[in-house]
Amino acid sequence: MNFSDHIDRSFDGQLSEEEWDALQQAVISDPELRRQYVEQRWLHALLESESGALTGRLSEPKERQTAVMKRPFVRLAAAAAVVLFGVSLILFSQSRPAPVVATLIQAENCRWAGSDLPTVEGAGLSAGTLSLAEGMATIRFNSGATVTLEAPSVLVVESAMKCRLVEGSVVADVPESAYGFTIDTARMEVIDLGTRFGVTTTPLGDSNVFVFEGEVKVNRDDLPEPKHVFAGKSLVSEAGATPQQTDQEVLRVDATAASPGPDWTAITTSTGRGGDIYVRRGDQHGPTGSHPLLMVKHTDLAPNNERRALLCFDLAGIDRASLRSAKLALKLEPSGLGFSSLVPDSRFAVYGLVDPDTAAWSEDDLTWKNAGALVEKPIQESTATRLAEFHVLKGSPNRLVEVSADAFVDFLRTHPGETVSLMIVRETGESDRQGLVHAFASKEHPSATAPTLWLQTNREN
Amino acid sequence: MEDPTPIPPPITVDPTEQYLLLLNEHERALAAYVHTLVPDRLDAEDILQSCKLTMWKQFANFEPGSHFIAWARKIAFHQILNLRRSARRKPLYSAEPAFLEAVAAEITRVSDGLSDRSEALHECLKRLPENQHRLLLLRYGEDHDIAAIAKETDRSTAAVYKLLSRLRAALNDCVRARLNSSTA
Repeated sequence: MNFSDHIDRSFDGQLSEEEWDALQQAVISDPELRRQYVEQRWLHALLESESGALTGRLSEPKERQTAVMKRPFVRLAAAAAVVLFGVSLILFSQSRPAPVVATLIQAENCRWAGSDLPTVEGAGLSAGTLSLAEGMATIRFNSGATVTLEAPSVLVVESAMKCRLVEGSVVADVPESAYGFTIDTARMEVIDLGTRFGVTTTPLGDSNVFVFEGEVKVNRDDLPEPKHVFAGKSLVSEAGATPQQTDQEVLRVDATAASPGPDWTAITTSTGRGGDIYVRRGDQHGPTGSHPLLMVKHTDLAPNNERRALLCFDLAGIDRASLRSAKLALKLEPSGLGFSSLVPDSRFAVYGLVDPDTAAWSEDDLTWKNAGALVEKPIQESTATRLAEFHVLKGSPNRLVEVSADAFVDFLRTHPGETVSLMIVRETGESDRQGLVHAFASKEHPSATAPTLWLQTNREN
Repeated sequence: MEDPTPIPPPITVDPTEQYLLLLNEHERALAAYVHTLVPDRLDAEDILQSCKLTMWKQFANFEPGSHFIAWARKIAFHQILNLRRSARRKPLYSAEPAFLEAVAAEITRVSDGLSDRSEALHECLKRLPENQHRLLLLRYGEDHDIAAIAKETDRSTAAVYKLLSRLRAALNDCVRARLNSSTA
């Protein structure tokens, strides 16, 4: 007897009572038929229960499918429910807003652009797009997966188990409940197998995945079969199809600049004999004196990525004895390297170099190897004095950092010689070797302000 | 070594709001569940409404963090069994308890795949050829029976049934193909 025909006919009242009873008995006794019954019946049930939204589902353009679902569909039962539930619930069941699949649980220093989802902390998110221009936002999907979005990024929330990263970077933390959570990018699909991992992508699909813990499965168009990537490994699109160990932080994106300050005297690292440079322990390349960014990082996990920046200011012509206040302005720029969610709010220290020999470094030849006392740990007092510290909050926008301290003024007043040399050191480490590298604009930066020393002297007296 | 990014505690909301959020999230799955088990469409609608009311009354018993849809299904299943006893009118097909239990158990067994099925169906509906829209809307959007559709479209009931049956089969094939391709 063909019961699959029975199943379908029962949907349209085309079955006699006897046939219906026979079908019931067969479904009870035959597991395969039961499976088939539920498969077919579920589809019919979906069509019945979502009848109000049917027109919308058929005719809406594909991308915006979830956004508009109008057509109030008033039934007797729904009318009865007004009495029972009050207005709010009825609004729910009649207008059928897209279901909430995630919650925006944290938004640090965020500026949003062109998002079609709510962007306040605590907001429920349905399917839609989040576009983060500045800052860092954390989303918890209903599956339990947590995704931290770092600006600039565009993320499309699709369901409790899936999102699509259009561009930018995210770090995903996926508990067991969300095993199989998927992040899609233009060129690859990353499927979690119990883990914490980072994904970066450009809209064109230059996509990379970094696994911090556990394991992920990656489907990529150019790979015949899925690749498994394990903790500490990454799959970088330009590096081909083999997961590898990477110490080099992930390359991300680029952003723009800001403006200076009040009516003091400004001396930048491009003034006179000034200069700026950074040194990286593991660097194979030559001096970075002409690099547009001064990169700074502290890490105990990948020591070769330790970086320090050096600034030299030419104070010729400044009456240093009458110096009243001083501040150092640095423009924070995206380094394009590393994930900021792997680095907490960071503390930086500014050192003044006191040893004349060490302070006489040159942009043309300084590297970590020949930096001598400059890169010692801890830094000796005979080499440099710790003058000030400043903090850069996690996910903070690329702002101008201003540092001032009394010790600064004292140092500048008493320092012999016409040039002063300062060193910038990050004191906060990272929780994973793919942590963010901080960067400040150097004098070679095409648009952002070079490191600037603002000096106020007592001209009146 | 620094602490990894702290994960903030979940946002607390009041019970009503929490209930509405959960209901909103799972309403479709619950509706599909009830419609799958209850052959008569109007009965299914009634059960859904009374089920939502019961769930609200008993929401204090729901353990936050546990499976809302599983809890909702349990309540719905009781309502379905109750309806059978108190049926005011006799539906065309009434389901016996052993049948309901067998089907409910099967739904629970394949539960994980069902939401994928819903999503796949939505995709398939978007791809449905336009000449099939009218039939689908008459049958499911307007809840017309076959006889009414036959009259409206000037066809025999047998022909309408054939068309509908083919339409459902096509949708089912599409859903299956989508699911296969996404797991392949």
